[in-house]
Amino acid sequence: MADTPILVMKGIRKTFDKSVALDDVSFELNAREIHGLLGGNGAGKTTLMNILYGLYKKDSGEISLHEKKINISSPRDALHKHIGMVHQHFLQITSFTVLENIVLGTEIHNKYSMDLSVEATKIQALQNRFNLAVDLNISIGDLPMGTRQKVEILKALYRGAEILILDEPTTNLTPQEVDDLFKSLRVMVDQDLSIVFITHKLREVLSVCDRISVLRNGRNVVTLKRDEANEEAFVRGMVGDEMDIQNSVIFSRGKSGQIGAEHIRAEVCLHLDQVQLASQGSVPRLKDISFKLRHGEILGIAGVAGNGQRDLAEVILGITLPTGGKVELDAKDILAMPTNQRLESGIAYIPEDRLLDGFLPKASVAHNLILGFHRKAPYSSGGFINWNTVHRTAAELIKTYNIKTSGPSDVGGNLSGGNIQRVLIARAFSKPANLLVAHNPTRGLDIPSMDFVYSRILEEKKKGLATLLISEDLDELLLLCDRIAVLYRGELVGTLDRSKFEKYEIGRMMSGYRAEE
Amino acid sequence: MTIMAKSKPTILNTLIPYVAAILIALAAVGVFIALMGFDVLKAYYTILFTSFRTPNGFIQTLLKFIPLVLQAYAFTVPLAAGKFNIGGEGQLIVGAIGAAAVGILLPDLPPLLLIPLVLLGGIVAGALWGFIPGWLLYKFNINEILTTVLLNFVSFALINYVATGPWRDPAAGHPTTIPIGRGGYLPLLVDNPPLHAGIIIALLVAVAVYFYTTRSTAGYELVATGANPRAAGVFGINVKYMFVLSIVIAGGIGGLSGAIEVSGVQHRLIEGLQHNFLVLGLIIGLIAKGNNMAVPFVAFFIAVLEVGASAMQRTLMIPVEMVFIVEALVLLFVLLSDVVRRK
Ligand SMILES: Nc1ncnc2c1ncn2[C@@H]1O[C@H](COP(=O)(O)OP(=O)(O)OP(=O)(O)O)[C@@H](O)[C@H]1O
Ligand SMILES: [Mg+2]
Repeated sequence: MADTPILVMKGIRKTFDKSVALDDVSFELNAREIHGLLGGNGAGKTTLMNILYGLYKKDSGEISLHEKKINISSPRDALHKHIGMVHQHFLQITSFTVLENIVLGTEIHNKYSMDLSVEATKIQALQNRFNLAVDLNISIGDLPMGTRQKVEILKALYRGAEILILDEPTTNLTPQEVDDLFKSLRVMVDQDLSIVFITHKLREVLSVCDRISVLRNGRNVVTLKRDEANEEAFVRGMVGDEMDIQNSVIFSRGKSGQIGAEHIRAEVCLHLDQVQLASQGSVPRLKDISFKLRHGEILGIAGVAGNGQRDLAEVILGITLPTGGKVELDAKDILAMPTNQRLESGIAYIPEDRLLDGFLPKASVAHNLILGFHRKAPYSSGGFINWNTVHRTAAELIKTYNIKTSGPSDVGGNLSGGNIQRVLIARAFSKPANLLVAHNPTRGLDIPSMDFVYSRILEEKKKGLATLLISEDLDELLLLCDRIAVLYRGELVGTLDRSKFEKYEIGRMMSGYRAEE
Repeated sequence: MTIMAKSKPTILNTLIPYVAAILIALAAVGVFIALMGFDVLKAYYTILFTSFRTPNGFIQTLLKFIPLVLQAYAFTVPLAAGKFNIGGEGQLIVGAIGAAAVGILLPDLPPLLLIPLVLLGGIVAGALWGFIPGWLLYKFNINEILTTVLLNFVSFALINYVATGPWRDPAAGHPTTIPIGRGGYLPLLVDNPPLHAGIIIALLVAVAVYFYTTRSTAGYELVATGANPRAAGVFGINVKYMFVLSIVIAGGIGGLSGAIEVSGVQHRLIEGLQHNFLVLGLIIGLIAKGNNMAVPFVAFFIAVLEVGASAMQRTLMIPVEMVFIVEALVLLFVLLSDVVRRK
């Protein structure tokens, strides 16, 4: 590996209004390396890369590429200089095909007939070269997240990227998809590309990156080679001494037997009986889903993404109506109850797709923190919102949940990905609830925030909260749950008690094998 | 749209792009005026200061302000929910018809009864006119831009029908109805030059819209719906209902602007009473970037320009269209400043 950097960012500073997002940050990328970029939520990773991609203008500092000083004025300009980026929350046109999404906005050979065969051939060549197989003629909306991610990468490669920036590409992927992605990344660097890889998962960093840089609060901390690195060093680098590692849920609960089973009460909180959700196609979206979730219990739903997790959550919330079966909350049939009443009667919800289903980017942080509770005291009385109370509560939540923002009236869209997730978490825990439906609640969170969420869930469990934890992160489920049920193609293929937890067994069930009971 | 969140920049910071936009627009138009051989400074002076030099100029400006601010709200209220109401014109016309109908059918009522009834007639008629696209959207998911625009054309036919029908004023050379009952005339606040009480109504609407959108629970739901309809729906807001409600409210406000034209200005229904209020209302709403707080100020500014424009045409013979160009350029530059600032 050549150790001369091809890209150097030096002394980068960026402020938004008065808050400093980046302060004197330097970053070097070598040829043919995968360079990990780590840091807590709001540390400035995305901002730094947005500057490199020409989306933000830096206040000061310089960038040189191949030892020549350059100025990047727009993404178009960045691509012209062979720098491509795949965003944390990327946008695709769901009704377009993969092919159309990839060529969108580029020069098209047969402009008037829109015959894309020339482009398709080119893309196929890229697919073969980098091991990124995707059917080009399917419309994007029908594809799982992992494949859509690949499409985004193809898009950047198609535009000639040689330096590829990936902002948290693995947050939405299944372990299998992550492995595939890593294989492709290796092929890419072997063929002379260089990659910047942003993530919160240390294991990923250690397994795929050649070098790793850590940012904290908009400043450089360290850059390490992989073989000089270990997990604890990174955690220290990312969070400083903020986190009490010894007492954290993540580092202490681990495999230990004690799980708080004594908090499980006799009363059933949520009861699903033979719930069905038919689809237009032949495969039902949910089939014969039955389970009981007790107060003080955490039931995990494991499964590969796209096996009906979202439908299950939405049926419980009343966003989607089941085509058969019963849903009972505290022994009361709630099928006829509209969503707002379900929320008011004590269901808290953390949706999977934070930007699409859970957040108002154009509204203020305060607006976001009361969404769903806005009709009830103390936020609202007599048809009016008590903004004083709302702002006071919002300020408290911002503090408790460590949301990095300038205050309750900050525009939601200004927040970093992880901080948006913190808003969703804060909202879900801001009111006493009987039932928490949490779908990938720690997606995109840094390790201390993840730990905080876990400890909040366990605290509420003590007070009798029933939690349905739908997660694609098996480690998370193994850590927290009293029982894990596995969802496969809309069906529960088995449920395991904590004493029977076994990663391999659950993995098998996730691909459709039924548990031997 | 910045209604939902006050971000950190100070008022001064927000004003800078506006002032810059106005200056650049005026400069650009100044070049044209000069090329056409007119006195640029005199033109500027007339455009900007006619409203403030004489009581008459000021009152003219206020009278212009009333329909403009209401039309702007008819656009910005649904905009908060993410819906585009381009039907303010039709809602004004139908509101005017409703108001005139009440005033003509009940000519002998005393002002205390007839004024509110006439205004209410306008509001209800406008709201019903807004309900049609709302319902089509709710039921069949038909794009509201399309339906509101098309309903404007229907309203042209409707006013023509009413103004040439049984209520026609045979003495008038233009499609016009007979006057409404005297009791339906809005009282004058100033007699000479006349300023009717519509200005108070317009200001009340401004205050009401402000409180509704920023303080009320329903207004919160409106804003949430506009910010992200999916998330709003997931968290229990009936977004389709909010869409309809927003267009119905807009219709009511548009109808009210028609009623005020009838009861304050014309005292009868006249074809063409809608002028170009719709387009100006859209421009105001867009320059204000949907911010309901800013709407009255922008509307006043546009009213000043409009009054200045007519004066300029009268005294300097410079075509009023020049001012229309100024307005369009201000809009353009304000929108551009957004793009620049995003970096
Ligand atoms: N457009 C913006 N306007 C105002 N503030 C912003 C903007 N973009 C980012 N910020 C702020 O800059 C800081 C750094 O954000 P950034 O998105 O770079 O974080 P990050 O390291 O990518 O975090 P995460 O892991 O949560 O994605 C945050 O405090 C964020 O609120
Ligand atoms: Mg980020």
